[in-house]
Amino acid sequence: MEANKMVDETTAVAPQRDAKREAMAFAIAVAGWLVPGLGHALMKMWGRAVACFLTVGVLVLLGAGMRGNLFSSSGNDAFDSLGFVADMGTGTFYLAARSLEKEGPDVSHADGDYGTRFLATAGVLNLLAALHAFEAARGRKA
Amino acid sequence: MSGGFGFKLSHLQAMLLFAVVISIAFGFLGKRRPVDRVKYIVWALFLFLLVGVGIGWAMYPFSR
Repeated sequence: MEANKMVDETTAVAPQRDAKREAMAFAIAVAGWLVPGLGHALMKMWGRAVACFLTVGVLVLLGAGMRGNLFSSSGNDAFDSLGFVADMGTGTFYLAARSLEKEGPDVSHADGDYGTRFLATAGVLNLLAALHAFEAARGRKA
Repeated sequence: MSGGFGFKLSHLQAMLLFAVVISIAFGFLGKRRPVDRVKYIVWALFLFLLVGVGIGWAMYPFSR
């Protein structure tokens, strides 16, 4: 009887713990998306946190410096929308890139075209890092 | 570097920078031990450059 009671309590607590862990993992992923590397930093994965922050930061700096195109939400077609999703992947760095590009994009030269790719890659890379932080927070091997 | 905040990079410089930065990110995210990370970064960088230069040469006949 006592043993059955203990089993019931254990099985009731486990889903609660799982739900809490999932919520924490989601919060870590969102933090990692908003500020590149923050998700890993919250889990004390310092090397990965610094690497994410620097690599995404360097790509955004280069992309904005090369006057790449930062897509806006008012895109004309599917490619613009996809570009916006990719650019938004950098989180708050999207706003930093906007403020750095005072003269606006210039894709009439190869530099600007490369810059567009750098910015999109920074976003996708940050989304990958946020997903990695999410999986690590859920306890998956990372 | 031109006036204000801006970069002027050649095609090769842009490719090199891209390959280095992405290789470092992949190395840190994909591997845990420092030795494994360095090996992965070097290998990924080599493959990035090989594929980049390879595709460049593959397009050469159509460039003129």
